Amino acid sequence: MDLLNNLWLGLSVAVSLQNLFYALVGCMVGTLIGVLPGIGPVATIAMLLPITFHLPPTASLIMLAGIYYGAQYGGSTTSILVNLPGEASSVVTCLDGYQMARKGRAGAALSISALGSFFAGTVGTLIIVVFAEPLTRMAQKFGPADYCSLMALGLVAAVVLASGSVLKAIAMVFLGLLFGLIGTDVNTGAQRFTFDIPELSDGIDFAPIAMGLFGIAEIVVNLERRMERSGAIKVSSLWPTREEMRRAIPAAIRGTALGSILGVLPGGGPTLGAFSAYTLEKKLSKHPEEFGKGAVEGVASPESANNAAAQTSFIPMLTLGIPSNAVMALMVGAMIIQGIQPGPEVMTKKPDLFWGMIVSMWIGNLMLVVINLPMIGMWVKLLTVPYRFLAPAILLFCCIGAYSLQNSTFHVLQVGIFGVLGYIFVRLGCEGAPFLLGLVLGPQMEEYFRRAMLLSRGDPMVFLQRPISLGLLIATAVLLILMALPGIKKAREEAFQEEG
Amino acid sequence: MTRFLTKDFLSGLMFIAFGLVALYFGRHLALGTAVRMGPGWVPHMLAYILLGLGFLICLVAFFTVGELVERPKLKPIALVTLGIVLFALMLERTGMVPALAVLVLVASLGGDEFKVIEVIGNIVVLSVLCIIVFKVGLGMNISVIEGVW
Repeated sequence: MDLLNNLWLGLSVAVSLQNLFYALVGCMVGTLIGVLPGIGPVATIAMLLPITFHLPPTASLIMLAGIYYGAQYGGSTTSILVNLPGEASSVVTCLDGYQMARKGRAGAALSISALGSFFAGTVGTLIIVVFAEPLTRMAQKFGPADYCSLMALGLVAAVVLASGSVLKAIAMVFLGLLFGLIGTDVNTGAQRFTFDIPELSDGIDFAPIAMGLFGIAEIVVNLERRMERSGAIKVSSLWPTREEMRRAIPAAIRGTALGSILGVLPGGGPTLGAFSAYTLEKKLSKHPEEFGKGAVEGVASPESANNAAAQTSFIPMLTLGIPSNAVMALMVGAMIIQGIQPGPEVMTKKPDLFWGMIVSMWIGNLMLVVINLPMIGMWVKLLTVPYRFLAPAILLFCCIGAYSLQNSTFHVLQVGIFGVLGYIFVRLGCEGAPFLLGLVLGPQMEEYFRRAMLLSRGDPMVFLQRPISLGLLIATAVLLILMALPGIKKAREEAFQEEG
Repeated sequence: MTRFLTKDFLSGLMFIAFGLVALYFGRHLALGTAVRMGPGWVPHMLAYILLGLGFLICLVAFFTVGELVERPKLKPIALVTLGIVLFALMLERTGMVPALAVLVLVASLGGDEFKVIEVIGNIVVLSVLCIIVFKVGLGMNISVIEGVW
């Protein structure tokens, strides 16, 4: 059995003392930022990206992954106890989780969400294990034209599933692609948009950009609004009743299934998974009137869905090298920092890293249940720390992190510049995630585009003649046409309404 | 006037501006041919797409009722940016701790509540934390106070 061999290899890597330690660090940091409103996984991973340069590749990816799914666990704690979403993906958990807490069932809500997340994390990891190999084998048949079309599909899908104006999101993708071109042209050595700044000639570093767009802009927006902190509800017994379990289990299973599917889609991920799962539960329930008043299903299903989606969103990144959301774009960046080119080769050339990371995800999920349930009191205390202590600390870590990339203060200034740009984006209602995806995929996409055109002797028809490429482009076109249809446009706007 | 101050109209203008900037600074990049593309081919293509999308966004915004841009508060963004710039300028000249103190102080002025004792406490805690994590833990080549440590 190949699969068992691979898992065994992964297990032997994941349980090394060093990797266990970094998985624990990642899970702790993830829970921390999940619990704290006002800082998300994108900003945190961007902040820690330079530090991972000092770590071995496997350890650094294990830690960053831990932050991402750890944040899904931590976010629910704040939603349930304070009625404030710790993360975007736990916004819906506020609706019923906080109501359960007000009825004195806070402990039960926390246990259900943690155990549901654990179940979903386990299933999500298994799905990665099963699908990784066939997908990788398929990806190895891809030519340059196919890759180019795959990236186009990924970018368009990311736009469709993002909230807000589609036209603006598409423009943000192109803006990101343009920024990605900054640096020396690989084929000719020409300097593009470098303005004679030596730091830019190696290409623009996207860690400071991500810190600026997500970290700094987030801080400024939070400073503008006065952050109210209400007291957290006390947690009594953690045990759910038998009746609560009976209602939670099927909901968690449905949430896991839906989340797993939505996680794989480009542009999908935890937030979309959680919203869709909540909507589905409300439709299926025999007592839809209970939703919003403390329905157990309204906690179990979205909390399972967001964690399942967090796990399965690794699939396109690990097998094809295509990030499906902003966090995955940063994971691609983390691999590049370590000198690993993400794509189908990772599995064959670095099996220890690949399988080690996957197995560590399951171990991390196990750790998170322990971190989140028995230690809940510690996290609740953290919620009382006011934002005015937190904001300067985040700012400082961004600045020092940016400096440590190449010991250059230019990168610190870059954080500042992109902070201002990110703030403008927020004010104009333009989303940062499509920009970041374009930025990360830009250089590769240009490379594949130019190579495909060279191979076809300048004939753009090559994108339509190769069956794989044609199929992907048709899928892209269908997505775009669907978006323009009035009926679907309206449904999409309604789906995101609850979010705003 | 309010027709022009919607989020959509202004973001359209922003995309047009980025397209024009890219065309201006990319004007010397050779286009090449479709077979052997020069360094300028893709940047020009992207710039024209941005111009087109920008115009389209402006046009749609002009004929629909859109959300107005909120009046920005200048204090937080200005002070946070100032703090980052000062940190960048000071870090190599004065060392980490003085730069950090200035950054925390300036950034704290950007919030609504400012208490001197709290800010000093924050600076002390963060200094200790940064020395432990970056200097001792990661062994970064960075002086704590220039010329002293």
